[in-house]
Amino acid sequence: MSAVDTPHPGASTEPVIRTDRLTKHYAGGLHRPGHGSATIRALNAVSLEVEPGEIFGFLGPNGAGKTTMIRTLLGYLHATSGSATVLGLDVVNDSVALRRRVGYLPGGMATYGSLTGTASLDYYADLQQREPVRRAELAERLQMPESDLRRKVRDYSRGMRQKLGVIQALQHDPELAILDEPTEGLDPLMQLAFYEILEELRDAGRTIFMSSHYLSEVERICNRVAIIRTGHLMALQHVDELLARRKRRVTLRWRGGTPDLSEIPGIADVVVFRDRITATLSGDVAPFVRAIASPSLVDLLIEPARLEEVFYEFYAGDEAETPGGAA
Amino acid sequence: MRQTLYWLRFRLLAVGLAAFAWGALVPTFYTTFQDLFAGLVEAGFPENLLNFGSGSLFSLGGAMTIGVQHPIAIGFLGVFAVGAAAAAVAGERETGTLEVLLARPLSRRRLYVSLSAAIVIAVGVILALLFIGQVISINALGVADEIDQSQVPLVWANGMLLWGAFAAFSLAASVSFDRGGPAIGLSLAYLGINYFFEILGSFLPDLEWTQEYSLFHHFNPGEIVSGKQDPFDLALLGVAIVLPVLWALVVFPRRDLAAPA
Repeated sequence: MSAVDTPHPGASTEPVIRTDRLTKHYAGGLHRPGHGSATIRALNAVSLEVEPGEIFGFLGPNGAGKTTMIRTLLGYLHATSGSATVLGLDVVNDSVALRRRVGYLPGGMATYGSLTGTASLDYYADLQQREPVRRAELAERLQMPESDLRRKVRDYSRGMRQKLGVIQALQHDPELAILDEPTEGLDPLMQLAFYEILEELRDAGRTIFMSSHYLSEVERICNRVAIIRTGHLMALQHVDELLARRKRRVTLRWRGGTPDLSEIPGIADVVVFRDRITATLSGDVAPFVRAIASPSLVDLLIEPARLEEVFYEFYAGDEAETPGGAA
Repeated sequence: MRQTLYWLRFRLLAVGLAAFAWGALVPTFYTTFQDLFAGLVEAGFPENLLNFGSGSLFSLGGAMTIGVQHPIAIGFLGVFAVGAAAAAVAGERETGTLEVLLARPLSRRRLYVSLSAAIVIAVGVILALLFIGQVISINALGVADEIDQSQVPLVWANGMLLWGAFAAFSLAASVSFDRGGPAIGLSLAYLGINYFFEILGSFLPDLEWTQEYSLFHHFNPGEIVSGKQDPFDLALLGVAIVLPVLWALVVFPRRDLAAPA
Protein backbone atom coordinates (compact mmCIF):
# COMPACT_ATOMS: atom_id res chain seq x y z
CA MET A 1 0.00 0.00 0.00
CA SER A 2 1.45 3.35 -0.93
CA ALA A 3 1.33 6.41 1.26
CA VAL A 4 -1.13 7.95 -1.15
CA ASP A 5 -3.84 5.36 -0.72
CA THR A 6 -3.32 4.99 3.00
CA PRO A 7 -6.63 5.37 4.79
CA HIS A 8 -6.77 8.72 6.48
CA PRO A 9 -6.99 8.04 10.20
CA GLY A 10 -8.71 11.33 10.78
CA ALA A 11 -11.72 9.92 8.95
CA SER A 12 -12.18 7.37 11.73
CA THR A 13 -13.15 7.96 15.31
CA GLU A 14 -11.74 4.61 16.36
CA PRO A 15 -8.81 5.02 18.74
CA VAL A 16 -5.48 4.60 17.01
CA ILE A 17 -4.09 2.86 20.08
CA ARG A 18 -6.24 1.10 22.62
CA THR A 19 -4.91 -0.90 25.54
CA ASP A 20 -7.10 -2.80 27.94
CA ARG A 21 -5.50 -3.66 31.27
CA LEU A 22 -2.24 -4.30 29.49
CA THR A 23 0.16 -6.02 31.84
CA LYS A 24 3.71 -7.13 31.36
CA HIS A 25 5.70 -8.94 34.02
CA TYR A 26 9.21 -10.14 33.37
CA ALA A 27 10.31 -13.36 34.99
CA GLY A 28 13.91 -12.25 34.67
CA GLY A 29 16.42 -11.07 37.18
CA LEU A 30 18.36 -12.90 39.82
CA HIS A 31 16.38 -13.94 42.86
CA ARG A 32 18.05 -12.81 46.03
CA PRO A 33 16.85 -14.30 49.30
CA GLY A 34 15.14 -11.69 51.42
CA HIS A 35 14.51 -9.37 48.49
CA GLY A 36 11.13 -10.73 47.45
CA SER A 37 10.14 -12.08 44.06
CA ALA A 38 12.45 -11.75 41.09
CA THR A 39 9.47 -10.86 38.89
CA ILE A 40 9.68 -7.38 37.43
CA ARG A 41 6.27 -5.75 37.08
CA ALA A 42 6.95 -3.48 34.13
CA LEU A 43 3.33 -2.69 33.19
CA ASN A 44 0.35 -3.11 35.47
CA ALA A 45 -3.13 -3.12 33.93
CA VAL A 46 -2.54 -0.05 31.78
CA SER A 47 -5.68 1.02 29.92
CA LEU A 48 -5.58 3.99 27.60
CA GLU A 49 -6.78 5.21 24.24
CA VAL A 50 -4.95 7.42 21.78
CA GLU A 51 -7.24 9.29 19.42
CA PRO A 52 -6.60 9.89 15.72
CA GLY A 53 -4.74 13.09 14.91
CA GLU A 54 -3.27 13.78 18.33
CA ILE A 55 0.22 14.01 19.71
CA PHE A 56 0.17 11.82 22.75
CA GLY A 57 2.92 12.11 25.32
CA PHE A 58 3.92 9.14 27.41
CA LEU A 59 5.79 10.41 30.40
CA GLY A 60 7.82 8.78 33.07
CA PRO A 61 11.35 8.59 34.37
CA ASN A 62 13.79 5.89 33.35
CA GLY A 63 12.47 2.47 34.30
CA ALA A 64 8.83 3.53 34.59
CA GLY A 65 7.69 1.20 31.79
CA LYS A 66 7.54 3.55 28.79
CA THR A 67 9.72 1.45 26.52
CA THR A 68 8.05 -1.76 27.69
CA MET A 69 4.70 -0.28 26.64
CA ILE A 70 6.02 0.68 23.21
CA ARG A 71 7.70 -2.68 22.67
CA THR A 72 4.54 -4.50 23.64
CA LEU A 73 2.50 -2.43 21.18
CA LEU A 74 4.94 -3.29 18.40
CA GLY A 75 5.13 -7.00 19.18
CA TYR A 76 8.69 -7.15 20.53
CA LEU A 77 7.29 -8.17 23.91
CA HIS A 78 4.32 -10.37 24.66
CA ALA A 79 1.83 -9.10 27.21
CA THR A 80 1.39 -11.15 30.36
CA SER A 81 -2.30 -10.27 30.33
CA GLY A 82 -4.66 -7.71 28.87
CA SER A 83 -4.89 -6.74 25.23
CA ALA A 84 -3.99 -3.96 22.86
CA THR A 85 -4.91 -2.82 19.37
CA VAL A 86 -3.04 -0.42 17.12
CA LEU A 87 -4.90 1.10 14.15
CA GLY A 88 -7.65 -1.38 14.95
CA LEU A 89 -5.29 -4.33 14.60
CA ASP A 90 -4.47 -6.75 17.37
CA VAL A 91 -0.85 -6.32 18.46
CA VAL A 92 -0.35 -10.08 18.73
CA ASN A 93 -2.22 -11.53 15.78
CA ASP A 94 -1.86 -8.64 13.30
CA SER A 95 1.57 -7.43 14.29
CA VAL A 96 3.04 -7.57 10.78
CA ALA A 97 0.10 -5.77 9.18
CA LEU A 98 0.12 -2.97 11.74
CA ARG A 99 3.85 -2.38 11.39
CA ARG A 100 3.33 -1.61 7.70
CA ARG A 101 1.31 1.44 8.79
CA VAL A 102 3.46 2.53 11.70
CA GLY A 103 6.75 4.41 11.90
CA TYR A 104 8.96 3.61 14.87
CA LEU A 105 11.95 5.40 16.28
CA PRO A 106 13.58 3.29 18.98
CA GLY A 107 15.40 4.97 21.86
CA GLY A 108 19.09 5.26 21.02
CA MET A 109 18.52 3.84 17.56
CA ALA A 110 21.29 1.69 16.10
CA THR A 111 21.88 1.24 12.41
CA TYR A 112 24.45 -0.35 10.15
CA GLY A 113 27.65 1.67 10.33
CA SER A 114 28.96 0.32 7.04
CA LEU A 115 26.00 1.73 5.08
CA THR A 116 25.63 5.32 3.97
CA GLY A 117 22.69 7.32 5.27
CA THR A 118 20.94 7.00 1.92
CA ALA A 119 21.56 3.26 1.71
CA SER A 120 20.17 2.82 5.23
CA LEU A 121 17.03 4.76 4.37
CA ASP A 122 16.61 2.85 1.11
CA TYR A 123 16.99 -0.43 2.96
CA TYR A 124 14.38 0.48 5.56
CA ALA A 125 11.99 1.83 2.92
CA ASP A 126 12.38 -1.38 0.94
CA LEU A 127 11.51 -3.46 3.99
CA GLN A 128 8.65 -1.13 4.84
CA GLN A 129 7.14 -1.79 1.40
CA ARG A 130 6.05 1.82 1.12
CA GLU A 131 7.44 4.71 -0.87
CA PRO A 132 9.59 7.13 1.19
CA VAL A 133 7.41 10.04 0.12
CA ARG A 134 8.48 12.36 2.93
CA ARG A 135 12.21 11.64 2.91
CA ALA A 136 13.39 14.64 0.91
CA GLU A 137 11.28 17.07 2.91
CA LEU A 138 12.36 15.62 6.25
CA ALA A 139 16.02 15.62 5.25
CA GLU A 140 15.77 19.27 4.30
CA ARG A 141 13.91 20.27 7.46
CA LEU A 142 16.34 18.38 9.68
CA GLN A 143 19.34 19.72 7.77
CA MET A 144 20.58 16.41 6.47
CA PRO A 145 21.87 17.40 3.03
CA GLU A 146 22.72 14.90 0.31
CA SER A 147 26.41 15.25 1.19
CA ASP A 148 25.73 14.01 4.73
CA LEU A 149 23.47 11.21 3.56
CA ARG A 150 26.22 9.97 1.25
CA ARG A 151 28.55 9.45 4.23
CA LYS A 152 28.84 6.17 6.09
CA VAL A 153 26.69 6.10 9.21
CA ARG A 154 29.67 5.11 11.36
CA ASP A 155 31.05 8.62 10.74
CA TYR A 156 27.86 10.29 11.97
CA SER A 157 27.65 12.23 15.22
CA ARG A 158 24.99 11.23 17.74
CA GLY A 159 22.71 14.03 16.59
CA MET A 160 23.03 12.99 12.94
CA ARG A 161 22.16 9.40 13.82
CA GLN A 162 19.11 10.65 15.66
CA LYS A 163 18.05 12.71 12.65
CA LEU A 164 18.51 9.64 10.46
CA GLY A 165 16.34 7.76 12.93
CA VAL A 166 13.61 10.38 12.72
CA ILE A 167 13.71 10.28 8.92
CA GLN A 168 13.51 6.48 8.75
CA ALA A 169 10.53 6.53 11.12
CA LEU A 170 8.59 9.15 9.19
CA GLN A 171 9.80 8.87 5.58
CA HIS A 172 6.94 6.60 4.51
CA ASP A 173 4.33 8.95 5.98
CA PRO A 174 2.98 6.50 8.55
CA GLU A 175 -0.52 6.83 9.96
CA LEU A 176 0.94 6.41 13.43
CA ALA A 177 4.45 7.34 14.53
CA ILE A 178 5.73 5.76 17.74
CA LEU A 179 8.74 7.68 18.92
CA ASP A 180 10.83 6.69 21.92
CA GLU A 181 12.72 9.70 23.30
CA PRO A 182 12.79 11.34 19.86
CA THR A 183 14.74 14.50 20.69
CA GLU A 184 17.55 12.73 22.51
CA GLY A 185 20.76 14.06 21.00
CA LEU A 186 19.15 16.80 18.89
CA ASP A 187 20.38 20.34 19.37
CA PRO A 188 17.80 23.03 20.33
CA LEU A 189 17.38 24.24 16.74
CA MET A 190 16.75 20.74 15.47
CA GLN A 191 14.35 20.15 18.34
CA LEU A 192 12.33 23.12 17.17
CA ALA A 193 12.35 21.85 13.59
CA PHE A 194 11.26 18.46 14.88
CA TYR A 195 8.38 19.93 16.87
CA GLU A 196 7.17 21.74 13.76
CA ILE A 197 7.30 18.52 11.78
CA LEU A 198 5.22 16.75 14.42
CA GLU A 199 2.68 19.55 14.51
CA GLU A 200 2.32 19.45 10.73
CA LEU A 201 1.88 15.70 10.80
CA ARG A 202 -0.83 16.11 13.41
CA ASP A 203 -2.51 18.76 11.29
CA ALA A 204 -2.41 16.30 8.40
CA GLY A 205 -4.33 13.79 10.53
CA ARG A 206 -1.42 11.61 11.53
CA THR A 207 -1.09 10.39 15.10
CA ILE A 208 2.04 10.63 17.18
CA PHE A 209 2.72 8.55 20.29
CA MET A 210 5.91 9.68 21.91
CA SER A 211 7.66 8.85 25.11
CA SER A 212 9.81 11.45 26.71
CA HIS A 213 11.29 12.58 29.95
CA TYR A 214 11.63 16.15 28.69
CA LEU A 215 8.61 17.70 30.34
CA SER A 216 8.94 21.00 28.52
CA GLU A 217 8.67 19.37 25.10
CA VAL A 218 5.67 17.31 26.11
CA GLU A 219 4.02 20.39 27.51
CA ARG A 220 4.78 22.27 24.33
CA ILE A 221 3.60 19.86 21.66
CA CYS A 222 1.41 17.15 23.16
CA ASN A 223 -2.38 17.29 23.21
CA ARG A 224 -2.73 14.65 25.86
CA VAL A 225 -0.35 13.05 28.22
CA ALA A 226 -0.18 9.83 30.20
CA ILE A 227 2.05 9.66 33.22
CA ILE A 228 3.34 6.26 34.19
CA ARG A 229 5.01 5.30 37.40
CA THR A 230 6.49 1.85 38.11
CA GLY A 231 4.20 0.40 35.48
CA HIS A 232 1.03 2.04 36.79
CA LEU A 233 -0.85 4.69 34.86
CA MET A 234 -1.01 7.67 37.21
CA ALA A 235 -2.69 10.24 34.98
CA LEU A 236 -4.24 10.45 31.54
CA GLN A 237 -5.44 13.90 30.58
CA HIS A 238 -5.27 16.80 28.17
CA VAL A 239 -2.18 18.83 28.97
CA ASP A 240 -4.28 21.98 29.33
CA GLU A 241 -6.68 20.32 31.77
CA LEU A 242 -3.83 18.87 33.73
CA LEU A 243 -2.26 22.28 34.08
CA ALA A 244 -5.51 24.17 34.63
CA ARG A 245 -6.18 22.26 37.81
CA ARG A 246 -2.75 23.11 39.14
CA LYS A 247 -1.82 26.21 41.08
CA ARG A 248 -0.25 29.15 39.35
CA ARG A 249 2.32 31.21 41.15
CA VAL A 250 1.42 34.91 41.40
CA THR A 251 3.68 37.75 42.42
CA LEU A 252 2.42 41.29 43.04
CA ARG A 253 4.22 44.50 43.88
CA TRP A 254 2.03 46.87 45.80
CA ARG A 255 2.33 50.52 46.65
CA GLY A 256 1.27 51.46 50.17
CA GLY A 257 -0.42 49.01 52.58
CA THR A 258 -0.69 45.40 51.48
CA PRO A 259 -4.15 44.24 50.45
CA ASP A 260 -5.95 41.31 52.06
CA LEU A 261 -5.92 38.55 49.45
CA SER A 262 -7.39 35.85 51.67
CA GLU A 263 -10.93 36.56 50.51
CA ILE A 264 -10.12 36.00 46.84
CA PRO A 265 -11.25 32.55 45.62
CA GLY A 266 -8.37 30.17 44.86
CA ILE A 267 -5.64 32.19 46.59
CA ALA A 268 -3.44 30.42 49.13
CA ASP A 269 0.07 30.35 50.53
CA VAL A 270 0.24 34.16 50.79
CA VAL A 271 3.65 35.51 51.75
CA VAL A 272 4.31 39.24 52.17
CA PHE A 273 7.83 40.62 51.99
CA ARG A 274 8.08 44.44 51.96
CA ASP A 275 6.14 45.55 48.86
CA ARG A 276 6.13 42.09 47.30
CA ILE A 277 3.34 39.58 47.78
CA THR A 278 3.58 36.01 46.55
CA ALA A 279 0.80 33.46 46.58
CA THR A 280 -0.55 30.47 44.72
CA LEU A 281 -3.69 30.64 42.65
CA SER A 282 -5.84 27.71 41.65
CA GLY A 283 -8.81 27.83 39.31
CA ASP A 284 -9.96 30.72 37.17
CA VAL A 285 -7.73 33.79 36.90
CA ALA A 286 -10.49 36.33 36.20
CA PRO A 287 -11.87 36.77 39.77
CA PHE A 288 -8.34 37.30 41.02
CA VAL A 289 -7.50 39.92 38.41
CA ARG A 290 -10.76 41.77 39.13
CA ALA A 291 -10.09 41.70 42.85
CA ILE A 292 -6.62 43.17 42.68
CA ALA A 293 -7.43 45.86 40.12
CA SER A 294 -6.25 48.98 41.97
CA PRO A 295 -4.03 52.04 41.35
CA SER A 296 -1.78 50.64 44.10
CA LEU A 297 -0.80 47.67 41.97
CA VAL A 298 2.71 48.33 40.60
CA ASP A 299 3.50 44.99 38.97
CA LEU A 300 1.87 41.62 38.46
CA LEU A 301 3.39 38.32 37.40
CA ILE A 302 1.28 35.20 36.93
CA GLU A 303 3.42 32.18 36.18
CA PRO A 304 1.63 29.29 34.50
CA ALA A 305 1.57 25.92 36.15
CA ARG A 306 4.26 23.68 34.72
CA LEU A 307 3.99 20.05 33.81
CA GLU A 308 7.13 19.63 35.80
CA GLU A 309 5.24 20.35 39.00
CA VAL A 310 2.49 17.92 38.06
CA PHE A 311 5.06 15.32 37.29
CA TYR A 312 6.91 15.77 40.56
CA GLU A 313 3.62 15.62 42.40
CA PHE A 314 2.96 12.16 40.99
CA TYR A 315 6.45 11.06 41.81
CA ALA A 316 6.62 12.52 45.30
CA GLY A 317 7.84 9.92 47.74
CA ASP A 318 8.91 7.61 44.95
CA GLU A 319 12.12 6.82 46.79
CA ALA A 320 10.12 4.94 49.39
CA GLU A 321 8.53 2.71 46.76
CA THR A 322 9.64 -0.82 46.21
CA PRO A 323 11.45 -0.83 42.89
CA GLY A 324 9.47 -2.61 40.24
CA GLY A 325 10.10 -0.61 37.13
CA ALA A 326 11.45 -1.65 33.81
CA ALA A 327 13.17 -0.12 30.88
CA MET B 1 18.38 -12.32 2.12
CA ARG B 2 19.72 -10.10 -0.65
CA GLN B 3 21.06 -7.61 1.87
CA THR B 4 22.72 -10.32 3.98
CA LEU B 5 24.45 -11.77 0.91
CA TYR B 6 25.46 -8.26 -0.13
CA TRP B 7 27.12 -7.73 3.25
CA LEU B 8 28.83 -11.12 3.03
CA ARG B 9 30.01 -10.62 -0.56
CA PHE B 10 33.68 -9.83 0.10
CA ARG B 11 34.02 -12.57 2.68
CA LEU B 12 32.24 -14.94 0.31
CA LEU B 13 34.55 -14.04 -2.54
CA ALA B 14 37.73 -14.39 -0.47
CA VAL B 15 36.73 -17.65 1.23
CA GLY B 16 35.30 -19.02 -2.03
CA LEU B 17 38.59 -18.49 -3.88
CA ALA B 18 40.51 -20.04 -1.01
CA ALA B 19 38.14 -23.03 -0.94
CA PHE B 20 38.59 -23.47 -4.69
CA ALA B 21 42.39 -23.42 -4.28
CA TRP B 22 42.19 -25.86 -1.39
CA GLY B 23 39.93 -28.17 -3.41
CA ALA B 24 42.41 -28.13 -6.29
CA LEU B 25 45.29 -28.88 -3.95
CA VAL B 26 43.89 -31.98 -2.25
CA PRO B 27 44.12 -34.41 -5.25
CA THR B 28 47.77 -33.40 -5.66
CA PHE B 29 48.40 -34.61 -2.09
CA TYR B 30 46.95 -37.96 -3.13
CA THR B 31 49.05 -38.28 -6.30
CA THR B 32 52.18 -37.08 -4.50
CA PHE B 33 52.00 -39.02 -1.24
CA GLN B 34 50.00 -42.21 -1.93
CA ASP B 35 53.12 -44.28 -2.73
CA LEU B 36 54.95 -42.88 0.27
CA PHE B 37 52.03 -43.70 2.58
CA ALA B 38 51.64 -47.19 1.10
CA GLY B 39 55.34 -47.76 1.71
CA LEU B 40 54.98 -46.67 5.32
CA VAL B 41 52.18 -49.17 5.87
CA GLU B 42 54.23 -51.94 4.27
CA ALA B 43 57.07 -51.00 6.61
CA GLY B 44 54.74 -51.59 9.58
CA PHE B 45 53.57 -48.06 10.36
CA PRO B 46 50.04 -48.23 11.87
CA GLU B 47 47.61 -47.43 9.07
CA ASN B 48 45.13 -45.77 11.37
CA LEU B 49 47.68 -43.06 12.16
CA LEU B 50 47.87 -42.25 8.46
CA ASN B 51 44.13 -41.75 8.25
CA PHE B 52 42.38 -38.48 9.03
CA GLY B 53 38.79 -38.69 10.10
CA SER B 54 36.98 -40.88 7.61
CA GLY B 55 39.51 -40.12 4.90
CA SER B 56 42.99 -41.26 3.90
CA LEU B 57 45.53 -40.70 1.16
CA PHE B 58 45.38 -44.34 0.07
CA SER B 59 42.59 -43.65 -2.44
CA LEU B 60 41.34 -40.66 -4.35
CA GLY B 61 37.95 -40.93 -2.68
CA GLY B 62 39.67 -40.98 0.71
CA ALA B 63 41.62 -37.87 -0.29
CA MET B 64 38.37 -36.15 -1.24
CA THR B 65 37.07 -36.96 2.24
CA ILE B 66 40.17 -35.46 3.81
CA GLY B 67 39.56 -32.43 1.63
CA VAL B 68 36.30 -31.72 3.45
CA GLN B 69 37.33 -32.91 6.91
CA HIS B 70 40.65 -31.10 7.19
CA PRO B 71 40.65 -28.14 9.62
CA ILE B 72 41.29 -25.81 6.67
CA ALA B 73 38.01 -26.85 5.02
CA ILE B 74 36.24 -26.74 8.39
CA GLY B 75 37.48 -23.18 8.76
CA PHE B 76 36.26 -22.11 5.31
CA LEU B 77 32.80 -23.58 5.79
CA GLY B 78 32.58 -22.66 9.46
CA VAL B 79 32.97 -18.95 8.64
CA PHE B 80 29.45 -19.00 7.25
CA ALA B 81 27.75 -22.10 8.67
CA VAL B 82 28.80 -21.27 12.23
CA GLY B 83 30.20 -17.73 12.44
CA ALA B 84 27.76 -15.84 10.24
CA ALA B 85 24.82 -18.05 11.25
CA ALA B 86 25.38 -17.70 15.00
CA ALA B 87 25.80 -13.94 14.70
CA ALA B 88 22.88 -13.49 12.29
CA VAL B 89 20.19 -12.75 14.86
CA ALA B 90 22.02 -12.56 18.21
CA GLY B 91 24.60 -10.18 16.74
CA GLU B 92 21.89 -7.87 15.44
CA ARG B 93 20.15 -8.06 18.81
CA GLU B 94 23.35 -7.06 20.53
CA THR B 95 24.01 -4.09 18.28
CA GLY B 96 20.36 -3.00 18.35
CA THR B 97 19.84 -3.18 14.58
CA LEU B 98 17.39 -6.08 14.89
CA GLU B 99 14.76 -3.89 16.46
CA VAL B 100 14.86 -1.44 13.56
CA LEU B 101 14.41 -4.37 11.18
CA LEU B 102 11.53 -5.78 13.19
CA ALA B 103 9.81 -2.40 13.16
CA ARG B 104 9.07 -3.20 9.50
CA PRO B 105 6.26 -5.46 8.32
CA LEU B 106 8.50 -8.47 8.63
CA SER B 107 7.59 -11.49 10.74
CA ARG B 108 10.28 -13.09 12.81
CA ARG B 109 9.77 -16.36 10.95
CA ARG B 110 10.27 -14.62 7.62
CA LEU B 111 13.41 -12.96 8.93
CA TYR B 112 14.70 -16.34 10.11
CA VAL B 113 13.93 -17.97 6.76
CA SER B 114 15.63 -15.11 4.87
CA LEU B 115 18.75 -15.34 7.00
CA SER B 116 18.76 -19.13 6.69
CA ALA B 117 18.49 -18.88 2.91
CA ALA B 118 21.42 -16.44 2.77
CA ILE B 119 23.57 -18.73 4.93
CA VAL B 120 22.62 -21.82 2.89
CA ILE B 121 23.50 -20.02 -0.35
CA ALA B 122 26.86 -18.92 1.07
CA VAL B 123 27.67 -22.46 2.29
CA GLY B 124 26.48 -23.89 -1.03
CA VAL B 125 28.79 -21.58 -2.99
CA ILE B 126 31.82 -22.45 -0.82
CA LEU B 127 31.16 -26.18 -1.07
CA ALA B 128 30.57 -25.95 -4.82
CA LEU B 129 33.82 -24.07 -5.36
CA LEU B 130 35.70 -26.57 -3.22
CA PHE B 131 34.37 -29.52 -5.26
CA ILE B 132 34.82 -27.71 -8.58
CA GLY B 133 38.45 -27.20 -7.58
CA GLN B 134 38.74 -30.91 -6.78
CA VAL B 135 37.15 -32.03 -10.07
CA ILE B 136 39.32 -29.73 -12.18
CA SER B 137 42.42 -30.92 -10.37
CA ILE B 138 41.44 -34.60 -10.61
CA ASN B 139 41.00 -34.30 -14.37
CA ALA B 140 44.18 -32.28 -14.77
CA LEU B 141 46.16 -34.93 -12.85
CA GLY B 142 44.70 -37.72 -15.02
CA VAL B 143 43.18 -39.73 -12.18
CA ALA B 144 39.54 -39.13 -13.08
CA ASP B 145 38.94 -42.81 -13.83
CA GLU B 146 39.43 -43.67 -10.15
CA ILE B 147 36.10 -42.17 -9.15
CA ASP B 148 32.60 -41.89 -10.54
CA GLN B 149 32.45 -38.15 -11.28
CA SER B 150 28.73 -38.27 -11.91
CA GLN B 151 28.37 -38.69 -8.14
CA VAL B 152 30.01 -35.33 -7.36
CA PRO B 153 26.69 -33.39 -7.34
CA LEU B 154 25.45 -35.93 -4.78
CA VAL B 155 28.61 -35.32 -2.75
CA TRP B 156 27.81 -31.60 -2.84
CA ALA B 157 24.20 -32.24 -1.77
CA ASN B 158 25.37 -34.48 1.06
CA GLY B 159 27.85 -31.80 2.11
CA MET B 160 25.02 -29.30 2.13
CA LEU B 161 23.15 -31.54 4.54
CA LEU B 162 26.14 -31.75 6.90
CA TRP B 163 26.87 -28.03 6.89
CA GLY B 164 23.18 -27.25 6.78
CA ALA B 165 22.91 -29.12 10.07
CA PHE B 166 25.65 -26.96 11.61
CA ALA B 167 24.09 -23.81 10.17
CA ALA B 168 20.65 -24.82 11.47
CA PHE B 169 22.09 -25.39 14.96
CA SER B 170 23.96 -22.08 14.88
CA LEU B 171 20.88 -20.18 13.73
CA ALA B 172 18.82 -21.87 16.46
CA ALA B 173 21.43 -20.72 18.98
CA SER B 174 21.37 -17.26 17.42
CA VAL B 175 17.62 -16.80 17.86
CA SER B 176 17.85 -18.07 21.44
CA PHE B 177 20.34 -15.54 22.82
CA ASP B 178 20.44 -11.77 23.11
CA ARG B 179 24.17 -11.58 22.62
CA GLY B 180 26.41 -12.96 19.91
CA GLY B 181 29.03 -14.39 22.30
CA PRO B 182 26.95 -17.22 23.83
CA ALA B 183 25.43 -18.12 20.45
CA ILE B 184 28.82 -18.35 18.75
CA GLY B 185 30.32 -20.17 21.74
CA LEU B 186 27.58 -22.80 21.81
CA SER B 187 27.76 -23.28 18.03
CA LEU B 188 31.53 -23.68 18.10
CA ALA B 189 31.21 -26.17 20.95
CA TYR B 190 28.72 -28.21 18.90
CA LEU B 191 31.02 -28.17 15.89
CA GLY B 192 34.07 -28.94 18.05
CA ILE B 193 32.50 -31.91 19.84
CA ASN B 194 31.39 -33.45 16.55
CA TYR B 195 34.84 -32.92 15.09
CA PHE B 196 36.59 -34.29 18.17
CA PHE B 197 34.54 -37.52 18.08
CA GLU B 198 35.29 -38.01 14.39
CA ILE B 199 39.04 -37.45 14.63
CA LEU B 200 39.47 -39.28 17.95
CA GLY B 201 37.81 -42.40 16.56
CA SER B 202 39.97 -42.36 13.45
CA PHE B 203 43.26 -42.28 15.37
CA LEU B 204 42.33 -44.65 18.22
CA PRO B 205 40.76 -47.95 17.08
CA ASP B 206 39.36 -48.59 20.58
CA LEU B 207 37.38 -45.37 20.34
CA GLU B 208 36.18 -45.87 16.78
CA TRP B 209 32.62 -46.06 18.09
CA THR B 210 32.74 -42.32 18.89
CA GLN B 211 32.67 -41.58 15.15
CA GLU B 212 29.09 -42.82 14.93
CA TYR B 213 28.11 -39.90 17.19
CA SER B 214 29.73 -37.33 14.95
CA LEU B 215 27.84 -35.66 12.13
CA PHE B 216 31.09 -35.50 10.17
CA HIS B 217 31.12 -39.28 10.00
CA HIS B 218 27.89 -39.23 8.02
CA PHE B 219 29.32 -37.26 5.13
CA ASN B 220 31.95 -39.31 3.35
CA PRO B 221 32.69 -38.17 -0.21
CA GLY B 222 34.96 -41.18 -0.73
CA GLU B 223 32.08 -43.59 -0.19
CA ILE B 224 29.66 -41.58 -2.31
CA VAL B 225 31.97 -41.44 -5.35
CA SER B 226 32.38 -45.19 -4.93
CA GLY B 227 28.62 -45.63 -5.13
CA LYS B 228 28.30 -46.59 -1.45
CA GLN B 229 26.00 -43.87 -0.13
CA ASP B 230 24.20 -44.99 3.02
CA PRO B 231 20.61 -43.62 3.13
CA PHE B 232 20.84 -43.62 6.93
CA ASP B 233 23.46 -40.85 6.70
CA LEU B 234 21.07 -38.68 4.73
CA ALA B 235 18.23 -39.37 7.14
CA LEU B 236 20.37 -38.59 10.17
CA LEU B 237 21.65 -35.33 8.71
CA GLY B 238 18.08 -34.47 7.75
CA VAL B 239 16.97 -34.92 11.35
CA ALA B 240 19.95 -32.82 12.51
CA ILE B 241 18.62 -30.02 10.32
CA VAL B 242 14.91 -30.36 11.06
CA LEU B 243 15.17 -30.33 14.87
CA PRO B 244 17.00 -26.99 15.24
CA VAL B 245 14.87 -25.45 12.47
CA LEU B 246 11.71 -26.43 14.37
CA TRP B 247 13.23 -25.07 17.57
CA ALA B 248 13.98 -21.74 15.90
CA LEU B 249 10.56 -21.48 14.26
CA VAL B 250 8.82 -22.12 17.56
CA VAL B 251 11.08 -20.22 19.94
CA PHE B 252 12.00 -17.09 17.96
CA PRO B 253 8.47 -15.74 17.41
CA ARG B 254 7.63 -16.33 21.07
CA ARG B 255 10.69 -14.73 22.60
CA ASP B 256 10.47 -11.42 24.37
CA LEU B 257 12.89 -8.99 22.78
CA ALA B 258 13.60 -6.47 25.49
CA ALA B 259 15.36 -3.23 24.61
CA PRO B 260 19.03 -3.81 23.86
CA ALA B 261 21.39 -2.74 26.63
